[in-house]
Amino acid sequence: MAKEMIAMLLAGGQGSRLYALTQKLAKPAVPFGGKYRIIDFPLSNCVNSGIDTVGILTQYQPLVLNEYIGNGQPWDLDRLYGGVHVLPPYQQASGSDWYKGTANAIYQNISFIERYNPQYVIILSGDQICKQDYSDFLRFHKEKNAEFSVAVMEVPWEEASRFGLMVADENDKITEFQEKPKNPKSNLASMGIYIFNWDILKKYLVEDEADPNSENDFGNNIIPNLLRDQRRMYAYHFSGYWKDVGTISSLWEANMEVLDPEHSGINLFDENWKIYSRNSGMTGHRIGADAVVENSMITDGCRISGEVKHSILFAGVKVEKGAVVEDAVVMGGTTIKAGAVVKHCIIAEDVEIGENAVVGAMPTDNEKGVATVGSGVFVGDNAKIGPKAMVYNNVKEGGEIND
Amino acid sequence: MTNSNANALGIIFPNSYDSLVPELVAERLMASIPFAGRYRMVDFILSSMVNSGIDNVSLVVRKNYHSLMDHLGAGREWDLTRKNGGLNIVPPFAQKTVKIYNGRVEALASIIDFLKSQKEKYVVMADTNMAVNFDFGALIDAHVASGADVTIAYSQEELPKSFIESKDMNGDLYYTLGIEDGRVNEIYVNPKWDGQQNFSMNIYITSRELLIDQIYTAFVRGYTYFERDILMPQLGKLNVQGFKYDGYVARITDMKSYFDENMRLLDEENLDALFSSNPIYTKIRDDNPTRYIGAARAKNVMTSDGCVIEGEVENSILFRGVKVGKGAKVKNCVLMQDTVVEAGASVEYVISDKRVTITAEKEVRGTDTFPVYIAKHQVV
Repeated sequence: MAKEMIAMLLAGGQGSRLYALTQKLAKPAVPFGGKYRIIDFPLSNCVNSGIDTVGILTQYQPLVLNEYIGNGQPWDLDRLYGGVHVLPPYQQASGSDWYKGTANAIYQNISFIERYNPQYVIILSGDQICKQDYSDFLRFHKEKNAEFSVAVMEVPWEEASRFGLMVADENDKITEFQEKPKNPKSNLASMGIYIFNWDILKKYLVEDEADPNSENDFGNNIIPNLLRDQRRMYAYHFSGYWKDVGTISSLWEANMEVLDPEHSGINLFDENWKIYSRNSGMTGHRIGADAVVENSMITDGCRISGEVKHSILFAGVKVEKGAVVEDAVVMGGTTIKAGAVVKHCIIAEDVEIGENAVVGAMPTDNEKGVATVGSGVFVGDNAKIGPKAMVYNNVKEGGEIND
Repeated sequence: MTNSNANALGIIFPNSYDSLVPELVAERLMASIPFAGRYRMVDFILSSMVNSGIDNVSLVVRKNYHSLMDHLGAGREWDLTRKNGGLNIVPPFAQKTVKIYNGRVEALASIIDFLKSQKEKYVVMADTNMAVNFDFGALIDAHVASGADVTIAYSQEELPKSFIESKDMNGDLYYTLGIEDGRVNEIYVNPKWDGQQNFSMNIYITSRELLIDQIYTAFVRGYTYFERDILMPQLGKLNVQGFKYDGYVARITDMKSYFDENMRLLDEENLDALFSSNPIYTKIRDDNPTRYIGAARAKNVMTSDGCVIEGEVENSILFRGVKVGKGAKVKNCVLMQDTVVEAGASVEYVISDKRVTITAEKEVRGTDTFPVYIAKHQVV
């Protein structure tokens, strides 16, 4: 039985700009929004769009991601035929290779795709926070009788030169592609989400692989080649919430936007488009008699005795008496000890912030930044971590770190 | 350890003590009563069994079990979706001559062919009116070490007031034990004594073979109760041992105790005592984290995922998906899943069942000794 469309999710990125957060895990496995990981978004989108076969291409630090995905059950992707499959590079009779680029990662898994004999393949990226109905995207692709479609977002003209841009005519037919151009001719930024007719994708992957000068990349090679051959290429307009969380500040910002769904547009409370995740299985959270909690999101297993304002706390976070947490993203299992002050920062999983330690600061005219503490780090009592600091080693008692 | 499985199968009686909380079981049974924010009563004993390596568990249901089937599904959350053993819900097999069972003897008689076909050496049996994180492994070890025919788990505590005061337990019996050197020499039915008692937890272990024998003999004589009709007359003949349990027990004996036992978990010491030794599993709802918005205030509360709090909440247990509107006040309440307290409403000493709505500006007030119960789906 053939599948109409299967998804291939690019999750191999190291996420080097998230440095302290991606020392031990791949970017798609980075926690987000209180109880999710980034990859929950594309996976939930797939299931909610009726796609039941997903290949996840991994390469960098795959252990956490592999364990997290497991058999795919939390996303309803444990299927007899199809389901979710983690696809690391593997050894073949002809030798083995790491994935050289995004296109090469798909090329190396042509045989996986062919097992399902799909008409269409959707290429997704594992580093975006976005709720998107891929079935509507496919409807557009079919309506246009396209061979290739790309999801695009209108971005402000002044920022357009930071993106890969699609120039399209009034029928959404793509006429030109500009990668981060100085003089943008369009403000339609590619979201890195593509639908291909499988026969076309396969043809171009094989050709691309044979080209020794190619970087084996969708943006740099495959799309320009399609344009060169005047394939039927269309731009699908998406207008909902979309955020590339590739940097510390964008990740922090996206988390803060979750706290304000009425204005920011990312609503995790949508019964019709649930975001699924693997559950912590902890009890409800406790808020103590002297605790203060304002404008925050708190999940199972948390124990709050201190003050939490405008922050996101993941499962099992402890905030002791007299501690202050503000504008902060605090990931699972972390303890903020008594009297510590944690502001405008991201603290990763299983961190301990010692008594009366200070992490980050509210931005001022002179100094602003999102202080970041990597997972498993122990920050000693009375230590001070500046607003621009990125910490991934233990900090001793009274220690001071400013970058 | 290469084999983590216990050589025992589990049998749970999900309807036991239904009669103690008629309001809560109007549309469900004891086992599916919501408890402690995100659990159902059955989760505790079922998780305890699974955590002790018992992966063949049967629930012998009597009536009102739709909610339980919905909660348990195929048993995946408890890791009981197995080819061998796993979760087994046994509904009544109604024939012309067989009525819905009364008492454990009839319940066990109805599954006797199943019991005969199983391989485990021992059988553990339990009810669901207690929230415990029970170590069945220790019970099995004690039973094997003592060479007993039957071992009964008990806790030393005072009998619940409602038990002492009640004239008629509606057929739901309770037992205390006389114990000498570990051996049970007396079983008392529905005693009304003050002070510490050896209060049976109705958790039993015996060998499968012995159980089958005893049930056969008892069933043909028309007996009903395992304890009263099988154990009591044979205490001289059978070696029945007591197994003292010192862990945390939350026992549902009436509406007031349901309220109190929920509230008791606001003390973190109690919460840890019940939850920290082994995980308690429950059905996953995929709720988002709970949001505290604007002027929301929370003091001394336990809140589960999926809640949206815009008002004031104090000394309360909020189950999954509860909404507290702007200016609303919730104090000393147990609000079950998806309860909505609309803007400006005020509730105190209230137990609201699933999907209750308190409309805007309404006030509902119970008292410390008599919390008001609002039934499922009611709109106030």
